[in-house]
Amino acid sequence: MKNIELLAPAGSLEKMKIALLYGADAVYLGGTEFSLRANAKNFSRNEMREAVTYAHEREKKVYVTVNIVFHNEDLVGLEEYLRFLGEIKVDAIIASDLAVMSLINRKKIPLELHISTQASILNEEAALFYKELGATRLVLAREANRDDIKKIKETTGLELECFMHGAMCTSLSGRCVLSNYCTNRDSNRGGCAQICRFEFDYLKDGKKQSEIPFSMTPKDLNMIPFIEEMMKIGVNSFKIEGRMRSIYYVATVILIYRRLIDKILANTLTKEYQEYALNILNRVANRESAPQFFDSLPGKNEQYFLGRQEISNQDFLGLVLDYQEGFAIIEQRNYFKRGDIVQFIGPNLETFDYKVEEIWDECDNKIEKANHAQMIVKLKVNVKLQQFDMMRIKVFDIS
Amino acid sequence: MKTLKRLINIKCCEEIEEYKKIGITNFLIFIPEFSIAYPTIPIEDAPDEVFVYVNRIMDTNTVTNFKKIIPQLKRFRGIIFEDLGVFHLLKDEKIPLIWAQNHFVTNKESLNYYLESGCLSAIISNELHKEEIKEMFSSSLKPLVFTVFGKNNVMYSRRKLLSNFNEHVGLDEMNDVVLETKRGSFFAHEEENGTLLFAHEYFNYLEFSEEIPDEKVLYYLILNLEFSVQEIGEILDGKEVGNRGFLEKKTVYKMAEYDDKK
Repeated sequence: MKNIELLAPAGSLEKMKIALLYGADAVYLGGTEFSLRANAKNFSRNEMREAVTYAHEREKKVYVTVNIVFHNEDLVGLEEYLRFLGEIKVDAIIASDLAVMSLINRKKIPLELHISTQASILNEEAALFYKELGATRLVLAREANRDDIKKIKETTGLELECFMHGAMCTSLSGRCVLSNYCTNRDSNRGGCAQICRFEFDYLKDGKKQSEIPFSMTPKDLNMIPFIEEMMKIGVNSFKIEGRMRSIYYVATVILIYRRLIDKILANTLTKEYQEYALNILNRVANRESAPQFFDSLPGKNEQYFLGRQEISNQDFLGLVLDYQEGFAIIEQRNYFKRGDIVQFIGPNLETFDYKVEEIWDECDNKIEKANHAQMIVKLKVNVKLQQFDMMRIKVFDIS
Repeated sequence: MKTLKRLINIKCCEEIEEYKKIGITNFLIFIPEFSIAYPTIPIEDAPDEVFVYVNRIMDTNTVTNFKKIIPQLKRFRGIIFEDLGVFHLLKDEKIPLIWAQNHFVTNKESLNYYLESGCLSAIISNELHKEEIKEMFSSSLKPLVFTVFGKNNVMYSRRKLLSNFNEHVGLDEMNDVVLETKRGSFFAHEEENGTLLFAHEYFNYLEFSEEIPDEKVLYYLILNLEFSVQEIGEILDGKEVGNRGFLEKKTVYKMAEYDDKK
C-alpha cells in the first residue's frame, strides 16, 4: 500500500492552499478554458502558474482538468493551452476527449496524461486502449466495482484514481445531456445544470402515477468502509469531489480523510473513528452519503427522494487569521456568542472543544456576540493556533 | 441514392423483408447482454447482412463474456460500438467498425483519430447545431453515419431508477414511463443493466439531410423505438413527425454566453 495519494478539489487559489495545508497530497483544478465546472471560479493562467509553484515548493502535485468534450470551435487555442500547461510543469492533465490525447501525441507536448472519469472506464480493454495512448493514470468510472478495479489494475498496471467522497452523477459520467435539453447548456462542456436533481411528474399512458414527485438524485458518495480494501487492490489516488465547495468544506473533508488514511496506513483505525468521521462528513455536506457501486448496485436507500431541499450549514464560525500572545484573531463566518461550546480544527492540531468565555472586538472592547459577517474578533485560547485553523460549532464529541 | 443508404434497426428478423418493400436495404440489430435500450435479436438468429450495434458500457464481467462471442461477430457487415474496450478488442479482427460513442462524436480531431485508426465510419452526435454538423461532414476523412430520425438518448445510468422510485412510493413494477418537468419531458426505460432516458419527442433531420453532400454520408440512420414498418415508410415519405432537435439551437459552453442569451 505504497504511494497512496489524497487528491483534493481546488476551485480557487485559496481553496487549493487550504486543501494542501489540511493534508491533501495533490489537487486538481481547472483553468478558465476547456474545463468542466464552468460555474466554478477556476484559475487564470497566472494563478495556475502560482498554484504549481506553491504546490511544488511543498512537494505536492497539481493536475489540471482539460476534460470537456470538444466541439470543433473549442479546438481553437487548445494546442497553445496544452503547451502552456507543459511549460509551467503541471504534474498531469485530466482529459476525456481523444482530441486532447491525439494532439499531445502528435505534437509531442510534454504532458502526463490522466484519463477523466468522463470516459466511463469500467473494463480492462477500455483501460488498455487508453494505456496505449500514453495514459499513466485512469480515473475510473464511479460505477466501477471491486472486480472491475482489480481486473483493470492487474491488466494494465497503471495508477488508478477513484472517487472517494462527494456528489455523484445519476448518469454514467459523460453520458448525460439533460442540461442540453432543459437549459441549452452543454453538460459535457461545463454547463451541467443538475437537472437530475429536479422533481418530475411520473406518467404512464398520459396519467400521473404518483402524487409524490419522481426523483433520481443519488446520495453523496463516501467510501469509508472500503478505503483499506481499495488500497489493497491497487487504488493509488483517493479523490474528493467538489471544486465549487467552500473552504470550510474542503478543510473539514480533507482533514477527516487525511486522518483516516494515516490511521489505515498505521493500522490504528478504529470503528469509533470511522463513525465519527462519517458523522462529520455527513454534517458538513448537509446531506447523507453512502458507499456506492463498489460492493453492490445502489438501491433506493442510496437515493434521495427529497428533490433539492438542503439545509444551509452554518457550522463554520470563524477562520483563524493569526495567533498572538494567547489570543486567536478570528474572522467571523457565522454567528456565535459568549457561552457557546465550539471546536477548533486545524492541520497541525488535535481537534479540541472550547467554551467561548469572552469575545473582544478589533478595538479590544468586550462584546457579547460576533454577529457581523467577516468581523474580526479576538478570543483567548490557551492552545497555540495557526493561520487557517478553523472554529466550528460543536456537534459531535471528538473521537 | 439516399434511399439505398438508409440504415434502420430491426426489432425482429421478419421486418427485413417488410423494410425491403419500402426500399430500405441496410439493417442493424441490437443483441442481448451487450446492447441496451432497443429490442434485441439473438446473434444466432440474425442474418449476415446486418450491422450489430453494441451500445452498452461494459464492466469487466461483461467484457469477459463479450470476448467469447467475437468469433460469431465476424460474419456480420460490421460492429457499431460505444465502449472503447470493444474497439480495443476488435480493431485487429478485420471487422468493419463504426465509432458511436454517444455525445462524444463532436469534433474533427477525435473523429479523424478513429477513422485513421481503422474505423470504417462514425455516427456523429445528435446535440450538434446544423452548422457544426456540416463542418463535421466536410472535415471527416471518411463518409459518416448520420442519424436522421430517432429519439435521442439523453441519459444512461447504471442505477435502477424506476425500480427504486416504485419501491419508495409503493407502486407496482412499472416501466417505460414519461418523466415531465416544465423544462422538458423524457421517456424512461429501465432494464437489467440500468436506466435510459430519451427525449420524449423524436427528432427528424430528414429534410435537413438534403443539405449534406451525399458522397459524405455512408448511411442515413433511423433509430426506431416503437413505430411499425408502415409508419416508418410514411415518415420517410414526408409525414411530419418529430422536431428539429438541436439543428437551430446551439448549446452554449461558457456560462457568460448563457447569461448573454437569457
